Amino acid sequence: MQSVEAQTGYFPGFLRQLFSAAGLTLLATITVAIATFVIAGPFVLVNAIVTGGMWALMAAGLSLVFGVMNIVNFAHGEFFMVGTLVAYFVFTPLSEYLKANPSPLLAAVAPFAGILAALVVGAVLGVVIEKLVFLQLRKRTKEQWIMNSFLLTVGLSVILINGVQIVWGPDFKGITRYWDVPPIDVFGVTVSVDRAVVFILAMVTMGLFWFFLRRTRTGRAIRAVSQDETGALMMGIDMNRIQVLTLALSSALAALAGASLLFMFPSYPTVGLKPLYIAWYVVILVGMGNVAGALVGGFIVALLQTMTSYFIGPGWEDVIPTAFVMLILLVRPSGLFGSEVKGIHER
Amino acid sequence: MLELNNLNAGYGFLQVLWDVSLHVDDGEFVALVGPNGAGKSTTLKTISGLVKPASGEVNLNGSPIAGMEAHKISAERGLSYISESLNLFTGMSVHENLLLGAYIIEDRRKQRETQDFVYELFPRLKERSNQLAGTLSGGERKMLAIGRGIMSEPSMLLVDEPSLGLAPNLTMDVFHALETLRQSGVTILLVEQNVNTTLKITDRAYVLEQGQIVLEGPSKELLKNEHVRSAYLGV
Repeated sequence: MQSVEAQTGYFPGFLRQLFSAAGLTLLATITVAIATFVIAGPFVLVNAIVTGGMWALMAAGLSLVFGVMNIVNFAHGEFFMVGTLVAYFVFTPLSEYLKANPSPLLAAVAPFAGILAALVVGAVLGVVIEKLVFLQLRKRTKEQWIMNSFLLTVGLSVILINGVQIVWGPDFKGITRYWDVPPIDVFGVTVSVDRAVVFILAMVTMGLFWFFLRRTRTGRAIRAVSQDETGALMMGIDMNRIQVLTLALSSALAALAGASLLFMFPSYPTVGLKPLYIAWYVVILVGMGNVAGALVGGFIVALLQTMTSYFIGPGWEDVIPTAFVMLILLVRPSGLFGSEVKGIHER
Repeated sequence: MLELNNLNAGYGFLQVLWDVSLHVDDGEFVALVGPNGAGKSTTLKTISGLVKPASGEVNLNGSPIAGMEAHKISAERGLSYISESLNLFTGMSVHENLLLGAYIIEDRRKQRETQDFVYELFPRLKERSNQLAGTLSGGERKMLAIGRGIMSEPSMLLVDEPSLGLAPNLTMDVFHALETLRQSGVTILLVEQNVNTTLKITDRAYVLEQGQIVLEGPSKELLKNEHVRSAYLGV
């Protein structure tokens, strides 16, 4: 013990953080990103950053639901799917209307209408599912909660996928682009406006989400529930309210991701499965229940995937991240950023 | 202030409390002592709503609270429970733990005033206000749990075994803090195994054995009681 202290004692704080697992991972990621930029060209990196932001939002929601409600949510991808569907049905009529009577202002705003609608529908769906499914289960199950709720989410996923297929059919519902304007030039790299806006949207949402969890009374209560349920009850925190809010928030973020990426992922009933698996890669990679890590992890996994499909081949983009996750778990079972600060007196 | 009438409670098929009746008057400092497994902690958990009573009454300020949800009892009835396991939010800073203690108080200025009071009571917490609760020492954790418990400005405080696992001088610090709180008008029900010290600082005490109240009276008299002396004080 003493020698460890003596070793780390020489380093100033930021250096010590740099040499921790999280710091090393970040360094490696940034190095790989720069290497990709140089070797494969900027386009690969742009794709990684754009999808990465949205995977981060998906994973953060998934992680939050696991931490606060102890639910291993395998229906999370269906919120993504609902997001793509809502955005398609709101945006397509608007763009038809725009073709008939062009208006630059409406053309700029219309995509946001679709994304906002998806966000709202996602949140409402989250509330309905919590009240109709998880609240009912919570009243009836005392033991085996993790297993029972997990099975329920799998069932929910099957029902949502097939329900959508019955009502709206199995065909692809996609758009070519949100904003019909020429691509812009960012530091000599050509980026489509869709990708740029989606990236900014992901960043802003992440910032707001982070601020909400860290700095507001309700956000603090959500974190309190995830750390100690009994303690939260003792503080007068209404658990039901927090649980409804958490699922609504998580599903809204997933729907937002789906709607934002509609131009890359056309809507069809099982479109959510891939984002679901990616979100799980991220959550397992950074450590279960670690929301902050999930935000960073989204970018790491997206970079791994785009790199794999560029350097090795498009069919491999699920293989390499999975292998990477397995490798990480062998070395660090609690995930890359998984650090549990729990004292002897509490456990 | 607090009144239990013929309270029966337990976990599943295991009944722990048998017809427990006790009362704590306004401004009183009352102790509940007894051996391990007597049901002291269960009594406090039942009062605070974490354990649902099978039968019997719990009245706080004249209105029944038995069977109410735990978060409502602390949010609406001004009761604060400091548990034996502390239930701190270990991944949050001392400051954030205190803010969560004041969750039900929306007035920011009032929050700050109470926080200043807590920091005055436990200067150590002020030094560590940005440190994660999980990295505190045992004594500091107790202080934080008590500080967090009084952040909601409760009129009734339930404290479970604050001396557990503490060095004697730290134990005295914690007891002094409780005395200070009592002087500021908080009614306290204290559960303790450290019978000698407890009986010296409290007004009245109940002795709980095997889920039943076997003795009650002013603490000074209990100190002289034959049963208490032989069973708890070892003299």
